[in-house]
Amino acid sequence: MKINPDIDELLNSFIDGELTTRQKTEVQRLITNDTEVRQRLRQLKKSKLLVGSLPFAEAPPDIFEQVTTSLERRNLLAEQPSSYEEYAGARHLFVRKVLAAAAMIGLFAVLGIIVYSIIAPETAPESFVAVRDPDNGKEPTPAIAFAGFNGRLELKTNAFIEIDSSISKAIKKNPLLDYRSLERSSNTSRYNLTCSPRGLGMLLADLNNIWQRFDSATLFVETEEFGQRIVIDEVTTRQIAEVASRETVEDSLQVAKDFAFLNNMNERLQAKDVFAALDTATTHFTIPMPVLLKDENAADRPAPDENQGTVSLVIVVTAGK
Amino acid sequence: MQSQMANVNIDDAILVERCRKGDSNAMERLVLRYQNRIYNVILKICANTDDAAELTQETFVKVIESIEKFEGRSSFYTWAFRIAVNLTLNYCKRNVKLGFRSLDADESSHDSSDKKQLREFLSDESSPDPAAVAQNKELCDIAIRALMKLDDPQRAVVILRDVEGMSYAQIAEVLDVELGTVRSRLSRARSNLREILEAILQ
Repeated sequence: MKINPDIDELLNSFIDGELTTRQKTEVQRLITNDTEVRQRLRQLKKSKLLVGSLPFAEAPPDIFEQVTTSLERRNLLAEQPSSYEEYAGARHLFVRKVLAAAAMIGLFAVLGIIVYSIIAPETAPESFVAVRDPDNGKEPTPAIAFAGFNGRLELKTNAFIEIDSSISKAIKKNPLLDYRSLERSSNTSRYNLTCSPRGLGMLLADLNNIWQRFDSATLFVETEEFGQRIVIDEVTTRQIAEVASRETVEDSLQVAKDFAFLNNMNERLQAKDVFAALDTATTHFTIPMPVLLKDENAADRPAPDENQGTVSLVIVVTAGK
Repeated sequence: MQSQMANVNIDDAILVERCRKGDSNAMERLVLRYQNRIYNVILKICANTDDAAELTQETFVKVIESIEKFEGRSSFYTWAFRIAVNLTLNYCKRNVKLGFRSLDADESSHDSSDKKQLREFLSDESSPDPAAVAQNKELCDIAIRALMKLDDPQRAVVILRDVEGMSYAQIAEVLDVELGTVRSRLSRARSNLREILEAILQ
């Protein structure tokens, strides 16, 4: 007799009473009409009967006592203090985890410092001058808090008389500068300025137009707090603005160091394209002209903003290379 | 019958609740209520009395230890059997790996008397009485040996149905399989069992 698994399944479900009424009727019709199906049904019934007739075995009478004993033993073992080896193993594992975590933190810290030292000079500082965007004419954004700046800018030019005159005009027309003193000789002019960051921004915007005519421009950054002096050779107006606009003295020093390093490297390599690659924005940079927020003029110069730090800058213009 | 089953289930739920609160009497009642049925099924699957006793004990230890986790989504009865069958099937797997088998189902050990009784039982003309079969020790031995020749999942499903009398739905719950799987596995198991029995007669 050829066995059909589908018929077998139906017959087994029929034997076990797991069919719907309709299925049961169909199977009954099948059994009545097909002798082979009838025979198969008898065989499967006998398989079921044989297994179902196996004698019922009773559990040992002390199962519950054994269960109780086993549970008590387990509880007792669970209450036992862990052996020294277990503690030592756990401690060893813990120390390894802590060391691994510390190593990871250290690694990330070092990577962070490296990344910051690379990208920090590229990061545009928040403007310390309220400026109007010449393209869309939006309202100026408020100035940010400023820590203060103290430095000396040494400029050398062959066209001393013409350039010095331009600088002098730029300083005099700037309403935000506190023009303290001027020392002038035949080939040197020394301007001692005190101003707000906004004033410095206006001055740098004016100087940017004649910056190409300086044979050298060097910025000396000095801070009393740290007793340090950082020299930035071949400094640009943008770099001066960035150094002077930092919110903290530490930031200002760090940015100054970065510029000093970059400019120094550029000078040593004697490769203009290296500098251009590092600071492409410099070549296209134009300092936006500040917008006066109030009616201010030269005759009525405002006092330096006490909420913001003060820029103290000495500009020394010298004739010759 | 249905109302009687419902009462059993309600009792189970109450006993489980008491058991959770640490009532040792409730624990004892649960163990006593199911120990024989669980032991019987385990013994039929593993075919070794000592191992069956140990597995039954382990089942109840696990039941009591994890009764806090019993959420009542299934009945306590199927939940306890699930633990028992899982433990037993794991035990069977370990024994197969280690090359042990509690019962050697080699048909060569059957003598001519056994074969004669089996032939009579299987003949199309006979209509054996279940009580008589249960009394026939030789036939029962043959049945146990034949069962041990089935693979473990087929043996479990046929024992849960024909020995414990579970419905297909309960078996599906205990074995954590689909209803269709129970249907087809049981059908194959009975068919294979028939083939094994016929092979003994060859």
